[in-house]
Amino acid sequence: MIVAERKSIPDLVDILKDHQKILVLGCGTCVTVCLAGGEREVSIISSALRIASNIKGLGFEIEELTIERQCDNVFIEEAADAINRNDAVLSLGCGAGVQALAERYAKKPVYPGLNTSFIGILEDRGIWAEKCAACGACVLHQYGGICPVTRCAKQMLNGPCGGSREDRCEVRPDRPCAWQLIYHRLKDIGQLGRLTQIAPPKNWEPGHGGGCRVIVREDHRI
Amino acid sequence: MTNKPLKIVLFYCANALDAAALRKSAGETGEDDIKTVSLPCSGKVNLLYLLKAFEKGADGVVLVTCHHGDCKFIEGNLRAQKRAEAVDALLDESGMGRGHMRMIQKNTENGVKQILKEIENFKTEIRKG
Repeated sequence: MIVAERKSIPDLVDILKDHQKILVLGCGTCVTVCLAGGEREVSIISSALRIASNIKGLGFEIEELTIERQCDNVFIEEAADAINRNDAVLSLGCGAGVQALAERYAKKPVYPGLNTSFIGILEDRGIWAEKCAACGACVLHQYGGICPVTRCAKQMLNGPCGGSREDRCEVRPDRPCAWQLIYHRLKDIGQLGRLTQIAPPKNWEPGHGGGCRVIVREDHRI
Repeated sequence: MTNKPLKIVLFYCANALDAAALRKSAGETGEDDIKTVSLPCSGKVNLLYLLKAFEKGADGVVLVTCHHGDCKFIEGNLRAQKRAEAVDALLDESGMGRGHMRMIQKNTENGVKQILKEIENFKTEIRKG
């Protein structure tokens, strides 16, 4: 899922200070699961903004709404009335949700309420970790399902850097060394032989370095 | 805020306090407005309960929990403490400042009167700003 964190209340106040009627719009998918932008977070952030407005005399009038998915026009339609009766929208969706709203409502200011962080999973209660860099050319099959592009700080593709201490990454000691994990995983599934194969330089072109990426499926365009 | 009556909302775990005694004693605390909200466990409280109290004009919120290790639901008071800390931080971000959220642990020594005394201290701190 896409993992995000809310912006600070002072940042949000600064973003919204020129508006009065504000719709705080949540998204019911990824950001709900990562506890950043679902129905509950919409209420919490709205309440904090009302408190800030009362203290600073900003006169915010805040409406709350959460739709199933902000990155899809079909679901965005459900928010049409609420969007139209407010001066601005504070989206608690990911960056894709914010932009989908802005494209759909060309004359309505739409602002991000979250910082979209990464594609990851819930590791433990209250802990989310990045697992995929969306590099566009997945190599997980070579590394026992553990991504060295995302989880190795140095993106090493042909073995560990040698700097790890015990099983910890030298760049982020709070994280395990990805290559330690890869070794144990390949051993567990009987594929240690993969470590003798030299990985050629990775093709980074499908990644973000080539600009905004678009996927076209002609079979769905009729 | 020196002489203005304070609005205090007191959330309490029903396993930690005798509600009737608390309401009776809370009613004898002078001009300040103290609202009491009973919870089946302090772990029932969430950020929104606490924030809504401030949004509706509370000057301070008190959360009375069981003593650590005594929670009937094992970790309800631990969850409550984390949430109270989160609200304190959020109020700071919102411009209200820290110190408007107070958690009081009930133990065998501190009865209702002791808790009310701690609330009085809390109110004094709020008045000092």
